[in-house]
Amino acid sequence: MLNGCLRNNATAQEALYNRFSPRMLGVCYRFAKNREDAEDMLQEGFIKVFSQIHQYRNEGALEGWIRRIVVHTCINILKKNKKFSDSVDIANANTVHIREEMIPSIMQAKQVVECIRALPLGYKTVLNLYAIEGYSHKEIAFMLDIEESTSRSQYTRAKSMLEEILIRKKIIQKTKKKSDFFGAVSPS
Amino acid sequence: MENEFYTDEFEHLIKEKADQFRMYPSRRVWHSIYNNLHPSRRWPSVVMSLFLITSLMLIGHLNTGDNSITRQINNNSYNETSTLIAGNNSNSKRSHSNTKTQDHPATRYEGAFEDVITNETDYYVYTIVKSNRPGYFNKLNAPAAETATSTDKNPADNTGKDLIPSTDSYTRANPVIADINAAGKKNKNSSHKTTNKNNDGNDNADEDNDSESIAANKAKNGSARSTAAGTQKTDADNQADTDKKAITRIDATAAKRTLTNEEKAWIENFSLVSKPNRNKWKDNLAVTFYATPAVNYRKLTSRSTSSVTPFGTADINNVISQKPGLGIETGLGLTYTFAKRLQVRGGFQFNYTNYNIDADRTNHPITTTISLNDPNTGNSFLSARTTSITNTYNSAAVQPVTLHNTTYQISLPIGFAYKLSSQKNVDWFAGASVQPTYVFGGNAHIISTDLKSYVSEPSSINSWNLNVGFETFMNFKLGTYNLQVGPQVRYQVNSTYRKSVTLVEKPYAVGLKFGLVKGF
Repeated sequence: MLNGCLRNNATAQEALYNRFSPRMLGVCYRFAKNREDAEDMLQEGFIKVFSQIHQYRNEGALEGWIRRIVVHTCINILKKNKKFSDSVDIANANTVHIREEMIPSIMQAKQVVECIRALPLGYKTVLNLYAIEGYSHKEIAFMLDIEESTSRSQYTRAKSMLEEILIRKKIIQKTKKKSDFFGAVSPS
Repeated sequence: MENEFYTDEFEHLIKEKADQFRMYPSRRVWHSIYNNLHPSRRWPSVVMSLFLITSLMLIGHLNTGDNSITRQINNNSYNETSTLIAGNNSNSKRSHSNTKTQDHPATRYEGAFEDVITNETDYYVYTIVKSNRPGYFNKLNAPAAETATSTDKNPADNTGKDLIPSTDSYTRANPVIADINAAGKKNKNSSHKTTNKNNDGNDNADEDNDSESIAANKAKNGSARSTAAGTQKTDADNQADTDKKAITRIDATAAKRTLTNEEKAWIENFSLVSKPNRNKWKDNLAVTFYATPAVNYRKLTSRSTSSVTPFGTADINNVISQKPGLGIETGLGLTYTFAKRLQVRGGFQFNYTNYNIDADRTNHPITTTISLNDPNTGNSFLSARTTSITNTYNSAAVQPVTLHNTTYQISLPIGFAYKLSSQKNVDWFAGASVQPTYVFGGNAHIISTDLKSYVSEPSSINSWNLNVGFETFMNFKLGTYNLQVGPQVRYQVNSTYRKSVTLVEKPYAVGLKFGLVKGF
C-alpha cells in the first residue's frame, strides 16, 4: 500500500485513506467547531500526507506519522482562520464559562470527546495537544506562538474544567484530588 | 515527540477514550482529495458532463421542434400494435401479433403501448421492463421482428418474438419480469389466435386467456391472488399493490448498496459500545529482571543462656580478622501498580553471599572446642573438634589462608515501592521487602571457644531464614522498557547458624541494584 502511494497509485491511496480516515477524522473533530470543519481539516491533512509520503522513513508507525501531519494541519487551519481570536484568546481563556447543556448526551468515548470540544478553543487546543497527542509544552508554545508557562497554566485549567464537567455528567467519579493514591500508573 | 507521560488516571482516561473515537467521513472528502492528487483525470468527467448536457439538449430539441417524432407519428397511420402481456388487468385489450412493417420505425413504439398504458398498473410494468431492458425495444425495429408472428409454437424461441426472452437469466432472477414472461408465453401457447392484423388496426384479442394466465401466475407465486381457474381477479387494487411491491423490492435492492447517515452513526456508536473491555490489571502489571552485586558484611555475637559466656567478655568482631566479600542477588519479579505512587512487588530470587576470613593453616591438626547449645536445657556446652586452621589474629602460624563463608540461597521477596518524585521520564522510588529464604548450600567456619581456631561446620548453617531489604532507586523510562538503578541494603534477620550453635552471625549486604522492567 505504501509503495503504491509512492507511485501515486490511486487505488493504494484510497486504501490508505479508508484505513486511517476514521481515526484521523476523530482527531480533527476534537479541534474543529463542527463536522464540516473537521472534514475540511481531514481533507487538507490527507492531501499533505500524500504529497509528503516520500518523506516517510519507516521510523515508527505510519499512523503516528499521519497523525502528526493531521494535527499540524488542524493547528495551521485554526491559526489561518484566526479562530483563536474569534473565540477565546488562549491567555484569557480562564474567564470563559461553559454552558453544560450544550454537551449532547451520548456514550463513552464520544461523551468524553464532546466534553473536550465544549471547552473554550484555547483550553481545548492545549489539552488536545498535550494530554492526547503527546506534545510537550515547549512544542505547544512554539506551535501556538505562546509562552511555555502559558501553555502549562492553560493546560492545568483545562484539565480541571474538563474533570469538573465529566464529574457533573457522571462520566467519571469524583477523585481524591489531593491524595497521591489516585489512579494507577503503568511503569512502561 | 510523543511522550509516555501517564501522570494520572484522568489523563489516561482522556487519551484512551479519545483514541477509541472514530468518525466516518463523507464520500466528498475522498473525491476532493482525489481530484487534488489527480487533476489530469478530472477532465474526462468534465467532458462527459458536457456530452450529457449536449445530448439532453438535443433530445429536447428534437422532441419539441417541428420535426418532433410525436408529430410524425400522429401524421402517419400505424397498423401494428404490440402489447405487454401479463401484469395487466383484463380490461385492457391486447393481442400479441405482428403485422407488416409500418411506414416509420417509430410508429411501432407508439402503437405498441398506446393501448397498453391504459392504467397505472400498466405503466408500472412498462417502467420495469423499459428500465431493466432499455435496449430491448430496439429489437422491434429489427427486420427479423417484422415477420415474426405469435404463432410460434416453441416457447423457447427467443429471437425477439417474446417481449422478454424467457431464457434470459435476468428474467429468471427477477420475479416481476418472470411473471410477465410466463404469462406471455401461456397466452401465446393457449390462444394461437393471434393473426395478422388488419390494416385498419382491428385486433383479435383474447381477454379470457389473459385473465387465466394472470391468475395462474399469481397463484403460482404464492401471492394473494385469485387461484380459481377461470376466476378473474377483478380487484385492481390487489394487482396494483402486487406490482408496487415488486417495484419496491427492486428499488430496495438498489438502495441497500449505500450507507445512510443514520447507519453510519450507528456504526460509530456500535463500535464504541461493543468494544471489548481492556484488562486494566494488565496495564498495571510489569515484569522485572534485576541483579544486585553486593558487598557482604557480618556481625558476630553469641547466644548463651549460661552465666559464663563461652567467648569471655571480648568482642568477637575485634579479635578475628575478617573481610567483606562479594556476593550477588538476581531474580525475576512482578510489579503491580495499584495506586498512583505505590507498587507491590513479588518474585523469585537467587542469593549468593560470601564473607572472607583471614586465617592460617597449621601443619598438624589441633584439638579445639566450639560452643553449642543444649536443645533441651538451652545451656551452652563445649563440643570438641579437630581442625588445622587457626585464627591469624591470634596465632603464631604463618601460612595464610582465606576462608570463605558462603551460602547459596533462594528466596521469594515480597515488598512494595513508593514513588517519591516523578519527572518527565524519571521517577524516584523507595522500597522495602521481606524475603523468606531457603539456604540449600554453603560453607561456614566457626570460631572456636578460645578464639584461636576455626572449625568448618557446614551442617551448622540454618536452612531456613528471613531477609529484609531496603532500597531506593531511580526509574528511567526508555520506550517500552524501564531501567532501575539504585542502592540496596539487605539484612539477615536470623543467624546463619542453627540455634544449636552458640555463635550468632548476622550478615548484611550493601549493593547496587540494576533492574529492567517491561510492562505487559
